[in-house]
Amino acid sequence: MIYRIRHITHYEYEKPVTLCYNRAYLLPRDTEYQSCTDSRIQIYPAYTLGQQRTDYFGNKAYFFSLEQPHQELKIDVTTDIRVHESKYARECELDLDFGNTCGQALVALQESRELPVLEAREFVLNSPMIKTASSLREYARSSFGSNRPLLSAVRELTERIYTDFTYDPESTSIATPLDEVLQNKRGVCQDFAHLAIGCLRSLGFPARYVSGYLETLPPPGQEKLVGSDASHAWFAVFSPGEGWFEFDPTNNNMPAEHHITTAWGRDYGDVSPLKGVFFDGGKSQKLTVSVDVSRLQN
Amino acid sequence: METRAADNPDGLQYSAIGSGYDEVYGDQSQIQAHWQYLLDGLKTLGVQGIRERQLKAERILRDDGATYNSGSLSATTWQLDPVPALISSEEWAGIEAGLQERAELLDLVLKDIYGNRDLIRLGILPPELLYSHGGFLRACDGLALPGEHQLVMHATDMVRDHTGRMQVIGDRTQAPSGAGYALENRTVMSRVLPSLFRDSHVHRLSLFFQSLRLKLNSLASSITNEQPRIVILTPGSYNETYFEHTYLANYLGFPLVQGSDLRVSKGYLWMKSLGGLERVDVVLRRVDDFYCDPVELKSDSRLGVSGLLEVVRAGRVIVANPMGSGFLENPALLRYLPRIASHFLGREPQLSSVKTYWCGDPQDLTYVIENISRLVIKPCFRKPSEQSVFGSSLDEAQRQALIGKIHKEPLQFVAQEYISPSTTPSWKDNQLLPRPSVLRGYSVATSSSYNVMPGGLTRVGNLADSLNLSNLRGAISKDTWILASEPEKQDSLLEKQPVPVPSKTQMQPRVSFPCRVVENLYWMGRYAVRAESALRLLRTVFVQLNSTYHMPAETRKVLLQAVTQLTTTYPGFVVSEGSASLQPEAELLSVVLDGKRTGSVTANLNSLLECSDQVREMLSADTQRVINDLRDELNGLADSLKQGLTAAPEEALDPLVTTLLALSGLWQESMVRGLGWRFIDMGLRVEKALQAVSLIRSSLVTVLPEYQQLQVLESILLSSEVLITFRRRDHSGSDMVQGLELLLHDSSNPRSVFYQVDQLRRHFEVLPSAAQGSGLAEEDRYMLEASSAIQLSTLDDLVKEDQKTRTRANLDQLLARLQYLLQETSNQISTKYFDQIKVHQQLVRTDWDEEL
Repeated sequence: MIYRIRHITHYEYEKPVTLCYNRAYLLPRDTEYQSCTDSRIQIYPAYTLGQQRTDYFGNKAYFFSLEQPHQELKIDVTTDIRVHESKYARECELDLDFGNTCGQALVALQESRELPVLEAREFVLNSPMIKTASSLREYARSSFGSNRPLLSAVRELTERIYTDFTYDPESTSIATPLDEVLQNKRGVCQDFAHLAIGCLRSLGFPARYVSGYLETLPPPGQEKLVGSDASHAWFAVFSPGEGWFEFDPTNNNMPAEHHITTAWGRDYGDVSPLKGVFFDGGKSQKLTVSVDVSRLQN
Repeated sequence: METRAADNPDGLQYSAIGSGYDEVYGDQSQIQAHWQYLLDGLKTLGVQGIRERQLKAERILRDDGATYNSGSLSATTWQLDPVPALISSEEWAGIEAGLQERAELLDLVLKDIYGNRDLIRLGILPPELLYSHGGFLRACDGLALPGEHQLVMHATDMVRDHTGRMQVIGDRTQAPSGAGYALENRTVMSRVLPSLFRDSHVHRLSLFFQSLRLKLNSLASSITNEQPRIVILTPGSYNETYFEHTYLANYLGFPLVQGSDLRVSKGYLWMKSLGGLERVDVVLRRVDDFYCDPVELKSDSRLGVSGLLEVVRAGRVIVANPMGSGFLENPALLRYLPRIASHFLGREPQLSSVKTYWCGDPQDLTYVIENISRLVIKPCFRKPSEQSVFGSSLDEAQRQALIGKIHKEPLQFVAQEYISPSTTPSWKDNQLLPRPSVLRGYSVATSSSYNVMPGGLTRVGNLADSLNLSNLRGAISKDTWILASEPEKQDSLLEKQPVPVPSKTQMQPRVSFPCRVVENLYWMGRYAVRAESALRLLRTVFVQLNSTYHMPAETRKVLLQAVTQLTTTYPGFVVSEGSASLQPEAELLSVVLDGKRTGSVTANLNSLLECSDQVREMLSADTQRVINDLRDELNGLADSLKQGLTAAPEEALDPLVTTLLALSGLWQESMVRGLGWRFIDMGLRVEKALQAVSLIRSSLVTVLPEYQQLQVLESILLSSEVLITFRRRDHSGSDMVQGLELLLHDSSNPRSVFYQVDQLRRHFEVLPSAAQGSGLAEEDRYMLEASSAIQLSTLDDLVKEDQKTRTRANLDQLLARLQYLLQETSNQISTKYFDQIKVHQQLVRTDWDEEL
């Protein structure tokens, strides 16, 4: 499957901005399951400097600065990306009752000297936005019996979050703390991903945050609306000797052909689509985002 | 021979009885040879002599503005013990080699963790030790400085244990502080104990700073062929070691800049200077790495430069120490250093570290919890809020709380065995007393290895049993003398500039500074004048109010209102004939003392002092002294004013006026006529003109009866310091004509408005003009008009009274126009020369704590 993703971010400022410097995670990375065939970032007005690099996590980071006064800023990213066949195998609700049990995974994490395991241990630790907590451990624990296969347990956790929590864009902001999300049982995809990661880390399992896109299909017989898609977020868990496995608690499934990965990190803060500063520009700004995921080729 | 347990101890008979290892006696009872000369010398000086030297040292430090800002208190003068710490050459050779090796080793660690991470891959370090540390900055992954070393400067804290062996207790690898204080200590000591110092053959420090400069120059040479621009980045005057930043900037000859003085543009880093943007090649940073770039690191940092990291990545600027080096300060590394050393060097380090436990290791954790009451607990990641905790000083409840904290985040804590530091003789209560001491040593990278400062910063505890020997906790510093066996040759940086062979472009020294400095100089001038003219008027008003003869109501009203208008402390006396003018003392006092009131004398002086802090590296020693006096006068003002209120309040204001005059005298007499002076003087001129205009306008426009009019006029002339001239002049015209001429037109009166305008125009002629196009710049135009307006006005016209309004309408009109022109001129100066962009906003608000 080849997708074309168009992601437009548009800022309008109250007064002219004289300078701005930004770091963007908007260019999808290559992964085992996807390869980018073409990716273009266009910035209006023209940028003074634009520089792409590969970051610590292997993501594509893009730095740009604007040094001319401007009252609006548009970042228009178009990406053509091929999602490999092999990914589909993962999707078909495969039998997850195989592999490491939770107990084995914990032991292997401590004892294995294999590089992937050593490196995965980074993702057991607290990160700026996700702190392990006993409340998270309590919430998740019932799914993680020591003899139960890890992936099956994570699948159940995913399902429980899907069932117990209400998707509610009004309920949270980027910075809503995890215990608040856990208490109110409401949030958006990013909160659910953070919650699952927090649960897994509190139990000692490595988990990372994945940002990306989800193709939404229109109801049968209707035309799809352009720009109606959104950027999305889910998480991945690491099982020693088996690798990373992705789960989407917002949709209660394992990411497959409809999920396109942009970047991953310890939490949202590592891969936020845009982070930056500007000078002047008045007191308020208006932000509009439009995302469109379309199929170029089946 | 003197012994440790002296029979008859007096102040200079040093007895270290009851101490463990002592620097003088070692673990023996005899004085070690290298101390004998100093102790004899001190004896010769006598208690009184040492006391005098100590006072002299204090005076020099104060005059130099050597301060250490501890906590929220205002800056305190740097504390220096007149007795140095001594280390013999033979012993030092071992310490030096150990420090050199340690710097090499940490440099290898730094390269590894932002490179291959073999230390993790090969299982030498537990991954959690790296990944959980707040100083491991993922954004800095892959950064590399040109040349052999990543770690440019390194500092190590050491104490001597009970066996006499030096043990490392911690490292400073971001922006190690104290080297500048060590240099200042040395400068002071060589002045207060010149012969003792000379004859002790002390190793000199200057070579170390030459190495630093050479290193920075050679780093720069990888990105520029021209003479490099090297700046020192400071968090600003509120930082506890700000003095040191200004001191090093001057000593090394680099501009001192704050984050807002720099800007990233077109992929390079620039300093905003008077002449526009000037490229920066190397930044010696004193800002913690996480604060260096709000785009990629701490979003709400105001101490950094937006986009800096990307410029560093592109290799277009060099930041030393590199961002990300904070990880090396992780004390958990101490535990693993022997393993790291055998990996990299194939041997154990020469300089051993204090036994350290990392709570991230399960066995260590158990040990730490069981033995907590005799260990020192430290956070792995240093934050201002987190201090070392001495287990022995905790009660049961505190101990349990600490254990709880450790159990919650074991990865974040280490524990160290407490080493009772060796004691060293310190001057306390007019005696030599044993005090625990810690030494900070410094290394700087050279092209092939590390150069160790022959000396360092010794700190001693205030009490015999002080535990925490940090300056934040009131420790006192000492100069550290490494005693050479034979004298060294003089080699000061001030005499010899270690710049590589100069090419043509290098012949011109670069004398530039950020526009922030210029702006603060300008405002220093303005605030000084503001305070002075307010003081002068207040003095006059106090005299008039308290004089024995009856003052008519009109005079009184005009004068009091002039106070309000001149100082802009509205409503004050302007609103109504309220209680304020019946009992004016309280309001006048508030105009002097209320620092929260904009326009009050105290507020203006505080602003002046703040500006002077911002430009401290530009101030001469004499100026610094006057600024110190000003601060003292201001602190004592409230008391002296309240005491004098009943008798002669004006006298309480005299010392301040005198000090301000000393300041402007220095500016006129001993400042090089460079850009710095020009901007101070422009500030003075603009403000003098504005103050004079405002004073005349508020007092002489209203027409009063003849007697009252003369009273007011004379008061104004008195406060403008021209009353005597006025009285001596041959009165050919009316009093008002004569007075106005002096105040407005007289080109020979350095306080007249015309004089200021004329001076301003001269300044504009020589300033680097940023004016576009041809013709006169705006500010030239304004001042030309002001000058003409004054010259074209005739005094007879100006004194004419408008019968309807009972005012001198022509005068009022002229003054209103002058006021407008002066304010516009000042605005123009600001727009043209000062930085307009100050504070950034975040594109996406990050409300969470980005630090681990």
